[in-house]
Amino acid sequence: MADTVTEAMAEIRRIAREELEFEGGVEPSHDLLRDLHLDSLGLTVLAVGLENRFRVLLSEEDAQGVRTVEDLARLVATRVEARATASEAGTHP
Amino acid sequence: MLSTTRHDATPAPSLSAVGRALPPHYASQEQLIAALRDLWATRHFNLERLEDLHRNVQVGGRHLALPLEQYPALATFQQRNDAWIRVATDLSETVARQALERAGLTPKDVDHVFFVTVTGIATPSVDARLVNRMGFRDDVKRTPIFGLGCVAGAAGLARASDYLRAFPKQTALLIATELCSLTLQREDLSIPNIIASGLFGDGAACVVLRGAEASGATGPRVVGSRSVFYPDTERVMGWDVVDTGFKVVLSAKVPQLVKDHIRGNVDGFLAEHGLTRKDVRHWVAHTGGPKVLEGFESALELEAGALERSWNSLRQVGNLSSASVLFVLGETLEEAGAKPGDWGVVMAMGPGFCAEMVLVRW
Repeated sequence: MADTVTEAMAEIRRIAREELEFEGGVEPSHDLLRDLHLDSLGLTVLAVGLENRFRVLLSEEDAQGVRTVEDLARLVATRVEARATASEAGTHP
Repeated sequence: MLSTTRHDATPAPSLSAVGRALPPHYASQEQLIAALRDLWATRHFNLERLEDLHRNVQVGGRHLALPLEQYPALATFQQRNDAWIRVATDLSETVARQALERAGLTPKDVDHVFFVTVTGIATPSVDARLVNRMGFRDDVKRTPIFGLGCVAGAAGLARASDYLRAFPKQTALLIATELCSLTLQREDLSIPNIIASGLFGDGAACVVLRGAEASGATGPRVVGSRSVFYPDTERVMGWDVVDTGFKVVLSAKVPQLVKDHIRGNVDGFLAEHGLTRKDVRHWVAHTGGPKVLEGFESALELEAGALERSWNSLRQVGNLSSASVLFVLGETLEEAGAKPGDWGVVMAMGPGFCAEMVLVRW
């Protein structure tokens, strides 16, 4: 789980830099809206990038508890873990 | 940064007629989604999210320059632009002939052709090709304008009107032709490009403008115009020109810019003419997208239905870039039941980022 959180953090930094043209540093405690200045389009770009990289689905409901970069990285890691568990059990998440 | 053209002392030109045309190849939004789905799947995992993005723009379908099945073969900028020149010239001729006929004029009566587009390039420009095809006079003046994007419909009206104040006996055409579908970068699977592929459509419009001293000039008068430039907003909207053509730059900041600025811009513009928003009976707004139209409605505190023509146009044919506001203008001229003395405001926004407002009186 910790490794996936680290990977998700790295991917968030890459998307912010390469796709959202964000020039500042991205820290785990950064607020997605206030610090990274993400608007609805920016949030969608970020969500799609993470979904593509980690092959998980992030829903509107998921977003309710997500405020910071770290919240988002942990959510991705949780989804990845759930997928692995479902896969081992022979079911689809 | 404001620039106002206020000409109380100079005679106001008139908007005599508007021609409008859409290419014949129609595809519903669901047909377009189905056609793009396999392409999206080559890179994206959550296709439902992308389908929702396409549906959220509230466009029912688009008229396309080419049959849907011909688009995958357009791999290079040259292929796209060659198709653009061919279809844009045809469509421009159609709308120019239609507008002139409605105004009771012929190509020989035209002194100046303004041609605006942002979706293809041609030299000689499309207006030059129309001179040969349609038989304009050999002293016709031409001003091809590239790069204003969605604002060019309103800005074109303003610039043509500026010209006719200097030459009040003359007649000008404003032709706006946009084939947005031919700019689609299939290899660009970014979210802004996917949204653009759901929002923008193809179409052309032509306005006949006549100087105040032109014989038989009829229609509402262009009383004034205002340009507004928003500093340091270059990455809000535009093109990155790449080897394969025009790659869209599109930020979600557009609706916020509308909400933040348009009220002050409109109020200031109207005040210079001794008017307030309550004096305006006809609002002709560029169909930027649902959030842009909602931004106009809330910022300007418009009554329900004030932008109904813009909403209908968006739903039926999508955002036609510069031609959109002229489609809405044409419908307003023909259907609004405007009475002498009515005021109207034509408004659009586009890359820069910027806005243009045109004050019209019936």
